[in-house]
Amino acid sequence: MRPLVVLAVTFALIGLAPFAIASDYWLNLVIMTLYAALLGQAWNILGGYGGQFSFGHAAFFGTGAYAVAVLQVELGLNPWLGLAAGGLLAAGVGAFVGFCTFRYGLRGSYFALVTLAFAEVLRILSNSVWFTGAGVGILIPLERGAASFQFVDKAGFFWVIWGMALAAFATAWWIGHSRFGAQLMAVRDNEDAARALGVDAFRVKMAAITLSGFFSGLAGVFYAQYFLYLDPYIAYGPAISVESLLVPIIGGMGTIFGPLLGAAALQAVAELTKEVVGEAPGISLAVYGTLLVVMVLFMPRGLAGLGARIAGLGPRARRRRAARLEARNA
Amino acid sequence: MTRQANKGGLDRRAFLAAGGAALGAGITGFPAVLRAQTESVKIGLIHPVSGFIAFSGNQCREGALMAIADINARGGIQSLGGAQLEAVLGDSQGKPEVGAAEVAKMAEAGIHGIVAGYASSISLATSQEAAKTNTPHVVDVGVSDEITKRGLENTFRFSPGYGKIAEFAVANLDTINKNAGSPAKTAMIIHEESLFGTGTANLLNAQLPQIGIEVVDTIKHANPTRDFTNIVLQIKSNAPDLIIPANYYNEYVLLARTMRQQQVSAKGIYSVLGGAASNYQFVAEFPEAADMIMDCNHWFDPNSEVALQRKKAAEDKGLYYTYEVFLAYNAVAFLADAIERAGSLDKAAVNAALAESTWDDHGMPYGPTKIENGQNQGAQPVNTQVLDGVIEVIYPDQFASAEAVFPMTR
Repeated sequence: MRPLVVLAVTFALIGLAPFAIASDYWLNLVIMTLYAALLGQAWNILGGYGGQFSFGHAAFFGTGAYAVAVLQVELGLNPWLGLAAGGLLAAGVGAFVGFCTFRYGLRGSYFALVTLAFAEVLRILSNSVWFTGAGVGILIPLERGAASFQFVDKAGFFWVIWGMALAAFATAWWIGHSRFGAQLMAVRDNEDAARALGVDAFRVKMAAITLSGFFSGLAGVFYAQYFLYLDPYIAYGPAISVESLLVPIIGGMGTIFGPLLGAAALQAVAELTKEVVGEAPGISLAVYGTLLVVMVLFMPRGLAGLGARIAGLGPRARRRRAARLEARNA
Repeated sequence: MTRQANKGGLDRRAFLAAGGAALGAGITGFPAVLRAQTESVKIGLIHPVSGFIAFSGNQCREGALMAIADINARGGIQSLGGAQLEAVLGDSQGKPEVGAAEVAKMAEAGIHGIVAGYASSISLATSQEAAKTNTPHVVDVGVSDEITKRGLENTFRFSPGYGKIAEFAVANLDTINKNAGSPAKTAMIIHEESLFGTGTANLLNAQLPQIGIEVVDTIKHANPTRDFTNIVLQIKSNAPDLIIPANYYNEYVLLARTMRQQQVSAKGIYSVLGGAASNYQFVAEFPEAADMIMDCNHWFDPNSEVALQRKKAAEDKGLYYTYEVFLAYNAVAFLADAIERAGSLDKAAVNAALAESTWDDHGMPYGPTKIENGQNQGAQPVNTQVLDGVIEVIYPDQFASAEAVFPMTR
């Protein structure tokens, strides 16, 4: 139960942010960290726990984002209903992509390339059809108020993204402690062996990609309502796919807290490099990139792995190891 | 299952250590702008100085910095006892969300006004964020009509919006064509895929048939595109009378060069907000490709002493005097004029002064500013044409420095 307690305490502490932080800038930073953590956890469910590396999570993100925007602008649907529709449609796209790939046994780099291709196809489609505004994009009319999912202050948006992220992280905890999660990780570690043990690999991978698509779609809905403008590049562009996988890779794939650590670290590094290198154009991005390379090189299991390694060096851990060894030898 | 230890296996100490490190990094990254001086007038400049539109973003930043330097050299804001303008720089990286975050950061730093954001998508996000603190926000280049149609009391645009530009472009094309005996009957549009290019193509597809020009084909391309050979072969195959490009700088240059290499013959090349068509760098580096190209774009009044002095000052600094430079310059000067007249840094007072602005020291073919719903009603583009390596204004007549050459005689 310990990770669940840590999860509850962490989110409870994060939940203090609107009360403790008066600054819109810092609250925005917390919001964007939770948003990145949500994106990262969505990818982590499929890539970290399921071992299916997707390079095209923008397909799910963009579907959620466009769903809430199009339903609102074209059909006048309330964005709160669009929130549900966006998540479900993105889950549907996840299921479709999963069916098209897992059904035919695509794995590894083939799966990654196909997901990338799906995102590109959707980007081109959204660039061509009228209801997404094509290349012009779609602007959600400004209508401040909680009823229209456009909060006057940032605290409203904070609670929405906090709730979404909490749901995603709770799902990740459940995956780590459920029969489904055990089967998913078995497929990740050795699919053939898992099949031999009776695991229906197709079914568990389909469930994982559907869940992953759902949470990515929610992140898309949030983005659309927070910034009120979308175009094909923003929604389905490669930047979202890269951010989705970068967050858990930096934080620690296949761990509950990896995406949160990764999101926090990426935000901190981005801000830090901007402050350190000042206003020289592009230098902060170059430093940011270099830092990421260094982090990936020296922390192959991410920040969560580093944390675990550091914890393993402590006196308590040493005592525990010694006790285990003694018990084994006895 | 073999990675069970890796699955959320952090103990309390490890988690607190990692969290503390991240928090520490965040705190040390606290914005330097918070430590800025309080007696100066702080103007936030948010532009995409990195990313795929970095050239334009940097040009905007340079123009805005020139304006601040000039105003300070003239004694700053007189009504505030000669307060100096202080630039607070932000990089949107070409992303709306990053631009909005920069606004939030600057608002915390007690910024007095913002000039942003070059692209329409970024301007939409920055102005919306600035509206939350009622911070005066002047859009320098973004042309989307939606920017000033959302009822935001803090958002102003000195330059023309898209609807005005398109209307002007079609009307002037009609005039140019009719004056030449209507030789252009067909046109082909080659546009980039985002808001600017697609919007242009949509408007032209709707309006060109009304002036007797049939659009035989419309080709969309991605950003970036580095090989225009196939597109140019399609142009040759359709043989339109007019070629209408709507692309960003790099793609425009490559398209124009490829057309020249493939010896495409047409009666005219007529751009709307052409990324390079009215650009001194393009004309200097590729004079043959640029020759005779017409454009409907932002441009200064070639008869204005003010404009010519600023052009010379920019060129003395080694800058090409592109539309980004003079629009960003004027956006800052427009804001500074409002602060001067407001005699206060109160945001509502500055917004009111912007709304009542009748400023005319801009060197643009606009006349005194007249703001309605945040948009300067007098703002308009002009038609230019590259003639003998010089960008000349050919329309409207009162600003013209040369006669239009159409059909072109390459």
